[in-house]
Parts: sequence; structure tokens; C-alpha cells
Amino acid sequence: MVLRPLSFVRRALEAMARGPFMTAVAVGTLFVALFTTGLFAAVLGGAERLLAAWAGDVQISVYLRPDADLPAAARAAAQLAGGREVQAVPPAEALRRLRASLGPEAAVLDGVSADVLPASVEVRAPGISLAQARALAARLQAVPGAADVDFGNAWLERVEVLLRRLRWAGLALFGVLALATAVLVSNTLRLGVYARRDEIEIMKLVGATDAWVEAPFLVEGVLQGLLGGALAVAALLGLHALLAPRLAAAVGVAAPLARAEVVPPALVLALVGGGAALGLAASALAVGRFLRKP
Amino acid sequence: MASEALVQLFHVYKQYAGEGPALADATLEVGRGEFVFLTGPSGAGKSTLLKLIFCAEPATSGQLLVFGRNVAKILPRHVPPLRRAIGVVFQDFKLLPHRTVAENVAVPLEVRGLAPRDVARKVAVVLRSVGLELKAGKFPLSLSGGEQQRVAVARALVGDPALLLADEPTGNLDPDRTVEVMDLIEAANARGTTVVVATHDRSLLERYQRRVIALESGRVISDGDAFRRRAGS
Ligand SMILES: Nc1ncnc2c1ncn2[C@@H]1O[C@H](COP(=O)(O)OP(=O)(O)OP(=O)(O)O)[C@@H](O)[C@H]1O
Ligand SMILES: [Mg+2]
Repeated sequence: MVLRPLSFVRRALEAMARGPFMTAVAVGTLFVALFTTGLFAAVLGGAERLLAAWAGDVQISVYLRPDADLPAAARAAAQLAGGREVQAVPPAEALRRLRASLGPEAAVLDGVSADVLPASVEVRAPGISLAQARALAARLQAVPGAADVDFGNAWLERVEVLLRRLRWAGLALFGVLALATAVLVSNTLRLGVYARRDEIEIMKLVGATDAWVEAPFLVEGVLQGLLGGALAVAALLGLHALLAPRLAAAVGVAAPLARAEVVPPALVLALVGGGAALGLAASALAVGRFLRKP
Repeated sequence: MASEALVQLFHVYKQYAGEGPALADATLEVGRGEFVFLTGPSGAGKSTLLKLIFCAEPATSGQLLVFGRNVAKILPRHVPPLRRAIGVVFQDFKLLPHRTVAENVAVPLEVRGLAPRDVARKVAVVLRSVGLELKAGKFPLSLSGGEQQRVAVARALVGDPALLLADEPTGNLDPDRTVEVMDLIEAANARGTTVVVATHDRSLLERYQRRVIALESGRVISDGDAFRRRAGS
């Protein structure tokens, strides 16, 4: 028997056109699952990129005890930091910076002696990850006379932990969603198969093979999955276009929020391809159960 | 009969769940090229017998050979090729309401994987032969019962089957239309198709002097021309 793939596509399209409601429900279900997953992935990815952009500025300060030897500490820090830029900040310099940061309010510091501020050694580590920064900070504890090591963005650490938890939650969410979607879509498609049981029966009575009956349903599942995935991508891009400019203005960095970063081609591919796979699996499940039941 | 048998039944029983037997100890044979009437009162088992032949129902026991193949033990994957060699006019037509007349008639050919061009050509020819060429684009439910019946006949004949099973093919037709449809079936038989027509219309049996197999309560009560003698007595 000759298989005519085009005729299967045509039959699938006809069936979808004939049952627009069923098609809409199936596509809608796939869309919701794929969009939710995609949104989660995009937000998570965006947050990680933002975090990396901030963390890129990491600056570690080693505050010294009053009795510490600043030049010796700076030398030790340079050694521990492995050739990174190290700057010794004597109390006078610290006071000057404080004044500068206070601006017009600097008058409150009049009469304050520089000695109240601790001397410190600053290590600049551009472009290192938070984990690396933490390790470096730990090593810098060994600087002679070090009282406290602070890598400034302590709150970033909490965000990172949060992100890690979210990534696990996202994975779990995706697993649950994929399963629920497969079952839901398969049930919807089963309704579609059931609605066409007379047609299936007649086709089989005039000599159709199971494969011939099944093929258009599988094509239909794939098409619905592709459609759901494409809609999810479109919705993500739309949402991005709407939110990215405001978000960029709010956080002061635009590059990590660029479209190609938040909705990268890999995500687009994963959503559309995942949709097709999900649709195929769901329809195979639906029509297989129907055809092979006695 | 010298010719080879297309359909052979040996002591075939068919029992539907929770019923008496629909067929009991049926033994008969239909030779290649024959034209046979299957008759008997409502519920006698005519449709059941036809269903067993095209594997729509399994026999409960007994041997049933179609084209020499034992369909009592047929594998599911061997059923489609067998059905493609059999044209069936169903008692309830089994037309697809959302497909046009031409599309309905095309189904057996599409199932075979024929090219759309060949499908269209064959469908046009067979629709002309049943006088429905002007209704090709209509939907079955907009046709009269007799027209629907002719669509069912056209679909059964479009694939040039070796065996035609017609279940009450004239049940909804006025006398003129009955003759037309029977002429179509006779023409197919003349071209070499083996024909089994189930009917309880005695006038049909009398008009067309053919072999008659009579069923009653699932049993073959007569075979050959005995029915006419009984009916006449
Ligand atoms: N699917 C089924 N399930 C249960 N019983 C059935 C089924 N089909 C037929 N029967 C029973 O089997 C018997 C024979 O039915 P069948 O349809 O073969 O008769 P028939 O000779 O074709 O009758 P009619 O002239 O009314 O079409 C009847 O008693 C009927 O009730
Ligand atoms: Mg019947």
C-alpha cells in the first residue's frame, strides 16, 4: 500500500477544521503548559543573568583591626588574591570616600577623626561568579590583622540560594506540568477520536489499516503541539517586549534583558519541539488506546 | 459446482452475549462468480452471516473460509487486505454525514492509497453508473433514503471487489429504483463479482431467479431453489 503523507496532513487539517472547539481546547492546554514552563525558564534565566551582571562588579573589602599593618596586609591580600587588583585604603581615604558619598550632608562628619574608621584592603574581582567570590573572601580571612571580610553584595548570596531553589521548583513544576498536559491533551484528543468513531469504524470496515487510521491523528497531535508551542513563544516575546524596557530602567542594566538573552533560540526550540513531542505522545496515547481496545 | 469456493462455512455458530445463537450450525458454500440471495425473517441471522464473512464479528465456533483463508483464526493485520477485496452495502448504509457523496464513495479507494486523480476518476464513473453524478457534492443527509442507498452501493462497487455483500440493498427503494439497483448488482456480477444479497423481499427472489439460501433462527433451512417451492406451496 502506498502511504501518502500529504493526504494524512490534509486529513488532519480537515479534522481540525471540522472540530474547531476540540482543536482549540487541545491547543489551549498545550499552550498553557508550554507558556508557563517557558515563562518560568525565561524569568529564571533573566534573573541569573542579572545576578551575574551585578556579581561581575564584585569587590571584596578586608577590614583591618586598628593595630594592623596596612602595607603588610595589602601585600598578603595581593598574594592571596592571585594577582588581582588590590588597593590599600587607609582611614583617611575611607573618610574622604564617606564624605564624597554623603555629598551636601558631609558636614555631619566635621570634627570626626579619621581614626574611627578602620583601614581596609580592597580586592576588585571583575567577572567572577558568586561562588568564586565567596571562596576568595574565605581565603582573604587569612590576611594578617583582618577583622572582617565583606564582599559587599551579601544579599546576592541570598538571591542565589533562592534562585537555586527556584530552579529545582521549576524542574519539578515542569515535570508535573508535562505529565498533567500529556494526560489532559490525551483526554481531549480521546474525545476527538471518540467523536470520529463512526468514521474510524467505516474506514476500517472498507479496509483501512490501523496505521492509516492513526496517522492523521498523530499528525494532528504534532500540529497542535507546534501551534501551542508557537503561541507560547509568541506570548513570551510579547510579554518581553512589554516588560523588558521597564525592568531595564528599574534595575539599570539592559543587556542581560535583551530578547535574545531572555528568550534565547534554545528556549524557542525547546518550547516548539517540546510541544510537538507532547502532542505526538498525547495523540498516540489517545488513538492507540481506542484502536487497540477489543 | 466446478468453480472454486469463495466463501465456505462449516458448522458455524455465532452467539452474541446474553442471546440465543444468531447463527447455529451453518454450513454452506458460495462459489466464485455466483449470485446468491440470503433470505429469512427479521432476526434470522442474515446480517450476522455477512458480518462474519467480512470479519466484523468473530464466529463463536466452526470453520469459516473466505478466499480460502480461515478467518476464524485471522490475524488482525490480515483483515484490511481481506476487506479491500470485499464490497459491502450495509443495512444502515454507514455513510459519513460530514462528507460529500463523492468523498464517501472515495473512502475505499483512499484507504488503498490510490492517487487523488485516480480516485476522482473512478468515483465519477461509479456515480454516473448509479445516476448520482449530479449529487456528487451533496451531503448524505440531504439525500432521499433511496439516493443514500445508491451511494452505499456505489461505495461498495467503486473498488471493483471480488465479492459483494449487500445487506437489504433495496430496503428503502420504490419498485423502479429497486430494479435499477438490482441491475447494478447484476452488472457487477456479470463482470465477475461474486454477489451475496441479504433480503426479506420475496418479490425480489421471484423476479430474479437465483440461488436462495433461507435462514431461520440462525439455521440454514433451505438452499438452492427450495425456497420458491416452499413459498409457492
Ligand atoms: N451486536 C449484536 N449484539 C447482540 N445481539 C445481536 C447483535 N446483532 C444481532 N444480534 C441478534 O442476533 C440475531 C440475528 O440478527 P441479524 O441482524 O443477523 O438478523 P437479520 O436476519 O439481519 O435481521 P433483519 O432482517 O432484521 O436485518 C437477532 O436476534 C439479533 O437480535
Ligand atoms: Mg439484517
